[in-house]
Amino acid sequence: MPPGIKEMVERYRAELDRGLERREVAARPGEVCVGEIAFTGQGAEYFRIWVVNLLLTLLTAGLYSPWAKVRKARYFRQNTRLDGHVFDYHGNPVAILRGRIVALVLLGAYSWAFQFSKPAGLVTVGVLCVVGPWLLMRAQQFSLSNTSFRGLRFGFDARVGPAYRAALPPLVLWLAPTVAGALASSLGWLAVIPGVAFVLTVPWMHHRIKAYQHRHAAYGDRRFTFTSATPRFYAVYAKGLGLVLLGGILPAVAMVVLVVLLRFLVGPPVSDPTVGPVVAGVLGTALVYVIGWPYLAARLQQVVWTRTRLGDIRFGTEIRPLRLFRLVLANGVLTLVSAGLYWPWAAVALARYRIECVRVEADLPLSALAAGVQRAAVSAAGVGAADVFGFDIGL
Amino acid sequence: MPAFPAVRFDGRSAGAVPVVLRVDGARVVVETPEGAVLEREPLERVAVSEPLAHAPRLVALSSGATVEVPDARGDFEQELRRAGRRVPLAVRLQARWPAVVAALATVVALLGLAYFKGVPIAARWLALLLPPRLEARMGDQVMAALDTYYLGPSHLQPARRARLADRFTRAALTAAPGVTSRLEFRSAGANAVNAFALPGGTIVLLDGLVELAGEDDAILGVLGHELGHVVHKHTTRQVLQSAGLGSLASLLWGDFSGVAASASVAIGTLRYSRDFEREADEFAIAFLRAQSISARPFYGFFVAVQAREARRPRGYFPDFLSGHPPTQERLAHLRRAFE
Repeated sequence: MPPGIKEMVERYRAELDRGLERREVAARPGEVCVGEIAFTGQGAEYFRIWVVNLLLTLLTAGLYSPWAKVRKARYFRQNTRLDGHVFDYHGNPVAILRGRIVALVLLGAYSWAFQFSKPAGLVTVGVLCVVGPWLLMRAQQFSLSNTSFRGLRFGFDARVGPAYRAALPPLVLWLAPTVAGALASSLGWLAVIPGVAFVLTVPWMHHRIKAYQHRHAAYGDRRFTFTSATPRFYAVYAKGLGLVLLGGILPAVAMVVLVVLLRFLVGPPVSDPTVGPVVAGVLGTALVYVIGWPYLAARLQQVVWTRTRLGDIRFGTEIRPLRLFRLVLANGVLTLVSAGLYWPWAAVALARYRIECVRVEADLPLSALAAGVQRAAVSAAGVGAADVFGFDIGL
Repeated sequence: MPAFPAVRFDGRSAGAVPVVLRVDGARVVVETPEGAVLEREPLERVAVSEPLAHAPRLVALSSGATVEVPDARGDFEQELRRAGRRVPLAVRLQARWPAVVAALATVVALLGLAYFKGVPIAARWLALLLPPRLEARMGDQVMAALDTYYLGPSHLQPARRARLADRFTRAALTAAPGVTSRLEFRSAGANAVNAFALPGGTIVLLDGLVELAGEDDAILGVLGHELGHVVHKHTTRQVLQSAGLGSLASLLWGDFSGVAASASVAIGTLRYSRDFEREADEFAIAFLRAQSISARPFYGFFVAVQAREARRPRGYFPDFLSGHPPTQERLAHLRRAFE
């Protein structure tokens, strides 16, 4: 090997070793080693990818969208760095296309069936209950087994029994209000019960799905574990609801004052019966999105990650609801003002904050732990099944 | 020949091994720092990740091993191109700002084209293909829901109802032969001055409108307008168009926010709805003319509606947020029909 190269390699190797040493120094008993996490994506760079993705998707009447999705997923994963190494995404666009077509058909059937007739609606709900948990399981498996780090794939234990046990009860609760609404004429006041049950069990459902996802996830041959936290989910949701209500009181008072003032100055208020509910709906959604979502996302991320472990590796997050709130507000306003053009910068800023807040720690350096992690012994059939349909539902 | 210090993962464990990567002719060579060859593979059998400003290149070898190559200065990319590696179209486009700006301009133009031409044309084509039985079924479902929750039986005198129905049926036969339509009388409170067409051809006429309009000729104008919606399959087209706009919007805004997507769909479909109202007005004028009925009473009805609305100020309501064309415009159009 020429001397110049040898020198370069030595320098690089020394750098790697120094990195190891630095972490090993921190590995004295009683101290923890924290994995360095960084997100290196940039708004301007992602903007260019986004525009080209959009153009190709439009030109192909949407057929390119799975390829666009893969390129986006690669951009975000490859710019996520843990302990000096990056993640990668391997999803097969054709599988995603197949999955999207199936999802589109199901979604279309669900939103149209009850308009068509009651029996058609009930049949669709039945079909959703039967295939829903399986789809959720496959979606999770597709997403994880197509994500890699340090040359090893993540994985998901896709067994049918646990999938139905975990996801069927939430699914039934979620669909029940729709069914009750469609049958309202024959049920009378009883029709509100499923709606009430749904609202009361949202935290429980969310926790159940999260626990299922985290308990069945794996990295190489190691399984993730998750400690239940249903009461914490209820507490976070209750506080989130309180914040939204509190945040809603101010604008509501302002509105009432404005309406009274206008009535005094101009005459009777707006009489078009459709305007009131529409304005209230838009304001309500905006409030939930800007106040409720950042709070829930930040607090639940804390609850979930502090209870998740991967062998000797512990997780945590330093995410702050107020910072996330400011970020979401700025992102929302700038995206609306720029007619959507700011969106790539917004997505990058949000990803950077959420990723860089994650803490990964262990009693040994991560690189030392990594050497012991082996590839999972998965049958070829299992991997194949995961690649037939690439469902990506945002759960 | 430049060599690139890199890290190799063998795909069996997560352990990292420092290596050196070279591009030798049309082949990729992975060596240990000591110079022992680990892999030597033709370039075309190797998958290399897209060049990104701050991410290392990931080289996937057919053995299942991955090599992570830091390439902040782009030297490795240059080496790959020199070796004849093809750069995908998307990567070439996004690499240069002028191309990106051109792509953005094309996106805007395509969206405009889809909004003004593509979606309406596709919706009309689909609406004509849709089996009438399906439309009738949907209409019945909506009618049943309306009857359960909002509408009551009509309190008009049976004789008046029969006369209106008879005149409408005869006029519909001449103006739109072969189009199924059915007139239904209902009531919904004194303030409900309205008539509407459902998919499948059912036209619902509310008592409030009959009372305000008074004259049969004015009511026939309104019914002609609704028949116009039926003939042009407006309801079905509206549903299809908002579905089309919905998929466009979710493409654009979907991963930003579902609310933003549905809000832009809601505003976008209003323009379509204004076009449909104009088309239905047009039909109503022809419908009346075929029966030698003057459009003047119909015009009078519009004036009465306007006067009624003026008594109940609606506040400022911008035109682009309205599902109907400006009343002044519609009045002027109608006046031209009888002057």
